[in-house]
Amino acid sequence: MKLNDDIILDIRRDYVLGKLRDGERIDGRAFNDYREIKIETGVIDKAEGSALVSIGNTQVVVGIKMHPGEPFPDTPDKGIIITNAELVPLASPTFEPGPPDENSVELARVVDRGIRESEAVDLSKLVIEEGEKVWLVFIDIHALDDDGNLMDASSLAAISALLTTTVPAERFEIGEDFPLPVRDLPVSVTTQIIGSYAVVDPCKDEEYASKNFITITTDSDDNIVAMQKSGSYLMSEKMLMDVLDTSIRKAKESRKLLKEV
Amino acid sequence: MSKEEIKLIIDGKRLDGRGFEDLRPIKMKVGVLKRADGSCYLEMGKNKVVAAVYGPREVHPRHLADPIQAVIRYRYNMAPFSVEERKRPGPDRRSVEISKVSREAIETVVMKELFPRSGIDIFVEVLQADAGSRTACLNAASVALVDAGVPMKGMISSIAVAKVDDVLVLDPMKEEDNYGQADIPFAFFMRNDKIESIALLQMDGRVSRDEFVQALEMAKKGAMKIYEMQKEAIKTKYIIESEEEVNEIE
Amino acid sequence: MASRPIVLPGELLASNPKVAGSGTYVENGKVYAKFLGLLDKTDTSVRVIPLKGRYIPSVGDVVIGVVREVTANGWTVDINSPYQGFLPVTENPEMRPNKKPNDVLDIDDIIIAKVLNIDPKMKVALTMKDRMCRAVRFGRIIGINPARVPRVIGKKGSMIKLFKAELGVQVVVGKNGLIWVSGDRRKVNIVEESIYIIESEAHTDGLTDRITEFVKRRKGELNEQRGN
Repeated sequence: MKLNDDIILDIRRDYVLGKLRDGERIDGRAFNDYREIKIETGVIDKAEGSALVSIGNTQVVVGIKMHPGEPFPDTPDKGIIITNAELVPLASPTFEPGPPDENSVELARVVDRGIRESEAVDLSKLVIEEGEKVWLVFIDIHALDDDGNLMDASSLAAISALLTTTVPAERFEIGEDFPLPVRDLPVSVTTQIIGSYAVVDPCKDEEYASKNFITITTDSDDNIVAMQKSGSYLMSEKMLMDVLDTSIRKAKESRKLLKEV
Repeated sequence: MSKEEIKLIIDGKRLDGRGFEDLRPIKMKVGVLKRADGSCYLEMGKNKVVAAVYGPREVHPRHLADPIQAVIRYRYNMAPFSVEERKRPGPDRRSVEISKVSREAIETVVMKELFPRSGIDIFVEVLQADAGSRTACLNAASVALVDAGVPMKGMISSIAVAKVDDVLVLDPMKEEDNYGQADIPFAFFMRNDKIESIALLQMDGRVSRDEFVQALEMAKKGAMKIYEMQKEAIKTKYIIESEEEVNEIE
Repeated sequence: MASRPIVLPGELLASNPKVAGSGTYVENGKVYAKFLGLLDKTDTSVRVIPLKGRYIPSVGDVVIGVVREVTANGWTVDINSPYQGFLPVTENPEMRPNKKPNDVLDIDDIIIAKVLNIDPKMKVALTMKDRMCRAVRFGRIIGINPARVPRVIGKKGSMIKLFKAELGVQVVVGKNGLIWVSGDRRKVNIVEESIYIIESEAHTDGLTDRITEFVKRRKGELNEQRGN
């Protein structure tokens, strides 16, 4: 059953495909181009760190909150990262209020994977008392406007927020505040697979044309730290390798924006 | 819970230097979201909220639709990072209550009867909270409804009054809200530059009858100022479009 | 050039209930604006022209819709409104006694139809018994803010006439914000771009002239490309 579907996007599916056959995208971009990316940090001063990222019309805000807590038993000498995504109904006519659905969970976990596997945050520096108390870092993704590719907007916002986070040691009387130690810049690149076409940074029309995408996250050394093939589709090896090489290249470009954060 | 001995009024001034009847700085921007039918970003002091309106649109599940009028939904939600101590995502009892009374205020002005069997959804996200977030949200919601073109009798303007150190103050900030003697949020139905009636009223604490009357007067003055700002924000966005529009229409 | 002021809900427009036109409501003998829009005031009437808002069907409206369900009695059609339309089999001239409904129109088919009737519960009945009604099997559908539709049509249909004359395309503008355009693909692109300009740049002076110039220019570029 189509819940709260956007009839216009529905109808434009064929148009999107028609354009792709002509080697074009409906908004005139090249297959591998991103829309304009804007990053603003420190937007929520009460949070330990925050960032508002827009890619085209898509907008996501990420807030970082921290407080001391118990470490996991098997990693007594490491801080903890917890990532959550709220695809709130404000952001899209198709989001319903309620607990995170599978898309919300997938988004949070993929963003989390990129940050965790790249070891972007040095968790060993977030120990207060080994085995007893460590810093918990909550990465909360809040979608504001879904015009396609919430994934990349969220991961850019997450790393930007972390880059400008201050550990609130003074508030908990555990010493002086210090900047959160971030030592890598993981960047995700999402490619929508529409039939036999692969387009980077899908806009909403393109996401409606096909629910299939693949997100590849790389670190500052161009190693792959996360991959997620999403949707029921079969992918050829050739397409996968093409997308992979493009993703590594595009991630480098986005990483330049992070260096200015 | 014992009340802390904290002075909220020092030398006749509030902790943030405001006069008793001064509002915190307010900023509003209309039409900030692409997907929503109407939207408004609003800052009131340190509150940062964004409201989105969708509708009228189909109600899902269908059996919840009302055959004679639109069903209004209002969802007040706080982002986990909006408060000092991270809040678990999802509605808590406070959010549920705020959503209810806010929806009821909005329902008084929206012309529901014009849209039987449909729904009008208002979603407000608090990105940063600092006392009075519910009033900030209602103000943003009212603007978002206008931006969405929803037919209404007028607008809703909301402001709270608190009693601190035996003095009534308008638009309380965090400390005044936490340590004050009473907190009274209001919302008014505003029409044609007049305050018509009261659409929302809550109170907790203790005030005398005369103090309440005084608080009401204070709130009305504050609401009037907010109403002016709401109108200004909307007109600023749309004023450019007015000039040539109609010549091209029949 | 009359400058029409923006009005907001609840603004007092007149004290004579007799002049209350569309977009207004009357209370205690006073006429107020009902929604955000442009005030159009004459000696005999006061109305508000909406700037935004969902499409609410009216009898006689030409609409473009998508078939969502097929039943024995007809088709449920999504008309980009909080209200769904229903096209009874009796109102579809393509229907024959020996045919089944889904042979004639199936799910996801796009149609141009007219609003035949609306009951008090807002159940909307459609008909295709009109010259301009048909199933749309080719061409492109463009979606815009329904409140802008009059602007896209233009004074006495001037904009549509322009597209047809200059680009040789077929255009049907649905009141519900959906527009069907058919013709040479690149020319349809020009129409689509023009429509988005009309939708968003309402404040420019002499919009018809600008669009005319835009269309001619892009058409010229097209001819040059073809010439090479």
